Amino acid sequence: MAGVFLAGLRAPLTSAAALASTGRGGPAKEVSHPTFVVAHGPAVERNLRSALDALGGISRFVAKGDIVVVKPNIGWDRVPEQAANTDPKLVYSVIEMCYEAGAKKVKVFDKSCDDPRRCYVRSGIADSARKAGAEVKFVDERNFRQVDMKGAVLNKWPVYSEVLDCDKIINVPVAKHHGMSRLTMSIKNWMGVIGDPRGKLHQQMDLSLADLARFFKPTLTVLDATRILVANGPQGGNLKDVRTLNTLVVGTDQVAIDSYGTTLFGLKGADLGYLVAAAKVRIGQIDLKKVRFSSIEVT
Amino acid sequence: MANLRRVSQVVFLLAFFFLLTRTQYLGKDEIGYPVKIFLDLDPLFAGLLLLSSYSIKPILLLSLITVAVSLLFGRFFCGWFCPLGTLHNAAGKVAGRPKKTEHGLYTRNLRWKYVILVVVVFSGLFSMSLLGVLDPLSLTVRSFATGIGPAFEFLTRSAFDGLYARAPWWISRVSETVYGFLRQYVLAFNQPRFLQGALLGTVFIVLLALNLSRSRFWCRYICPLGALLAVFSKASLVRLRLSNACGKCGKCVGVCPTGASPAMGDGWRKAECIFCWNCVEACPERAASFGFAPPTKKEGRTDLSRRAFLWSAGAGLLTVPLLRISPALTKPHPRLIRPPGALSEKEFLERCVKCSECMKVCLTNGLQPTLLEAGLEGVWSPVLVPRMGYCEYSCTLCGQICPTGAIKKLPVEEKRKTVIGLAFINKNRCLPHAFNVNCIVCEEHCPTPQKAIVFEEISKIGPDGKEITLKLPVVVPELCIGCGICEYKCPVSDEPAIYVTNINESRSPERSLLLTPKK
Repeated sequence: MAGVFLAGLRAPLTSAAALASTGRGGPAKEVSHPTFVVAHGPAVERNLRSALDALGGISRFVAKGDIVVVKPNIGWDRVPEQAANTDPKLVYSVIEMCYEAGAKKVKVFDKSCDDPRRCYVRSGIADSARKAGAEVKFVDERNFRQVDMKGAVLNKWPVYSEVLDCDKIINVPVAKHHGMSRLTMSIKNWMGVIGDPRGKLHQQMDLSLADLARFFKPTLTVLDATRILVANGPQGGNLKDVRTLNTLVVGTDQVAIDSYGTTLFGLKGADLGYLVAAAKVRIGQIDLKKVRFSSIEVT
Repeated sequence: MANLRRVSQVVFLLAFFFLLTRTQYLGKDEIGYPVKIFLDLDPLFAGLLLLSSYSIKPILLLSLITVAVSLLFGRFFCGWFCPLGTLHNAAGKVAGRPKKTEHGLYTRNLRWKYVILVVVVFSGLFSMSLLGVLDPLSLTVRSFATGIGPAFEFLTRSAFDGLYARAPWWISRVSETVYGFLRQYVLAFNQPRFLQGALLGTVFIVLLALNLSRSRFWCRYICPLGALLAVFSKASLVRLRLSNACGKCGKCVGVCPTGASPAMGDGWRKAECIFCWNCVEACPERAASFGFAPPTKKEGRTDLSRRAFLWSAGAGLLTVPLLRISPALTKPHPRLIRPPGALSEKEFLERCVKCSECMKVCLTNGLQPTLLEAGLEGVWSPVLVPRMGYCEYSCTLCGQICPTGAIKKLPVEEKRKTVIGLAFINKNRCLPHAFNVNCIVCEEHCPTPQKAIVFEEISKIGPDGKEITLKLPVVVPELCIGCGICEYKCPVSDEPAIYVTNINESRSPERSLLLTPKK
């Protein structure tokens, strides 16, 4: 588990020049980077590249020889246009960039809610991830390990071992409506790597999700708001509930990223109980005024 | 020629198994293989479909091939093609009983299959129920899909899981590679489990074990399809010829698997002969051969007297009222949730041949064989058991695969709107209703674009005096399609707090629940 990146990155920005830093050659130690970058533009791949450039380049996050887990949302038997799963093009680009940084292997999986075979196919993700060279497998029920999450409500819980054993994790969730938590974004995406009875988490949604955010420390979070689902989530189905925003929120603090994500739906971070709960135990920063982030327009 | 016949049997048996393993979702919405072609070749299905419902699926016209071959040449289907016949051969080999000459001779007991055929055909004028139980192809698919196959999978999975859990890494690495291959190309996606798998598997094994008594016991005494083809073969042209070199040694009779008396007793019986060529192979004098020859007097006799025929026909007709007085048709079992596209119950039973193809192909293992939920007439027909698996919103596989059209093939848009039942919430067990604990799992999984489960948000004072806000799930009956995913995913997992019954199903307009004004 690579948790090192979360710490130390919240140092205040000293130079605006950091924003312009596009060094993809290696970690730029002398400059500090924004916590997250919001990239808006018509092409998802360019959005990702621009955001990562602003964050110091992919090589800041993925090193040569790394085994990287890329965790999209492949929860539902829905097509990309319905915005229930992560955009397959984004998944492709994330994998591509991992390999550019020298990753040894990229793995893609999700514990789907509908039949996984259909979800993998219809989301378009299995196909695009394989094209990008990733290993795409279904979640193997034998591969869960009981882990003590040391959470407020989640203690012993099965966690997918490939997530525990990899070098880096990149969380690639999609932003959408959810009946219980109101919105599901980065933090709730971890429900796809824990075992059953995961449905129980809804009974203590806020504390459970804060526990997940405490336990899973991604190297990088890429929140997909290319299309968002504003009602009838988390699986939608009606194109009228989909808004096309062509936006990515890329960064390191999942609480701050989700807090920003709420604004895309006309809400604020404090509206989501689980973000409040997570911020309360200092997992991340919910108050966007205290976070340094940048927004870039990508052409 | 006997060896050629063996090759043909093995090839078709392998094809049968291959197609059975392909009877599952393989990444495409449409099934890419002709997975039910063996059933399509069965003239009993096509014929009875025509007689009972005055309709026929074009694909079943393939069975005309079977009819044509039987008319022209004889029961080659039984000897060279039928997977059940081949399995009987194999079982006979395994049983390894010494062959007795008299077992190759015709006896009057062989008539029983004609009696069964007549019963099946006359009851089949109104219901395919009996035929479905007794048809050899339906029987074989059903037994393998629900019993033998899952048992084999269980063995395989247990072995590989055991290696994975306990063997040293260099062994498990190899075993996992093999297992990965098997999972991709042979096994089902998940271990299939069927409510009556053990029963159906055992029935099949017992039928094979009857080879201990007589070789091809099923084919000799029971098989209605064999009997039908025997009738068709009356005027066929290929015959056993015995030259003068025949010394009546009886070797050919000893190897005859069906009691066709090649060279003794009354003489060769074409109706019983499956053209296996054993007799030709066994003849020390090379006196026996098959070829075109003029008919002999007794060869085509089925020995079914007019009286026996009438009794059997009457019995067949009588089964219909006996089956139909069951209350199952007028007061259906509330949990008899038929797959989407199933015809109205009466028409459904007229067509369903209990082949289990729909259960085999069902993504979620939710389609299960009934026992008595649909009355005796509906034994082993498909029922959705949401606790086992739900109906996947965008899946249309069961309708694509049904050989007789008992389940219609629906376009996916129509399937999504087809109502198979209605969900009810058991407030005594539902977490927010009963225990003031929020849950929402049913709502989250509800697949309709406009959710058929919505929340009533309430605030109340809990038992501890504190104010709580609760989201109480409520079903919207106009939107619910009864797919059962809510019941399947309900965390109250022993007796779910939300459950589906078949009221409101679109196939029975008379059972719609609510009177709603037109929108």
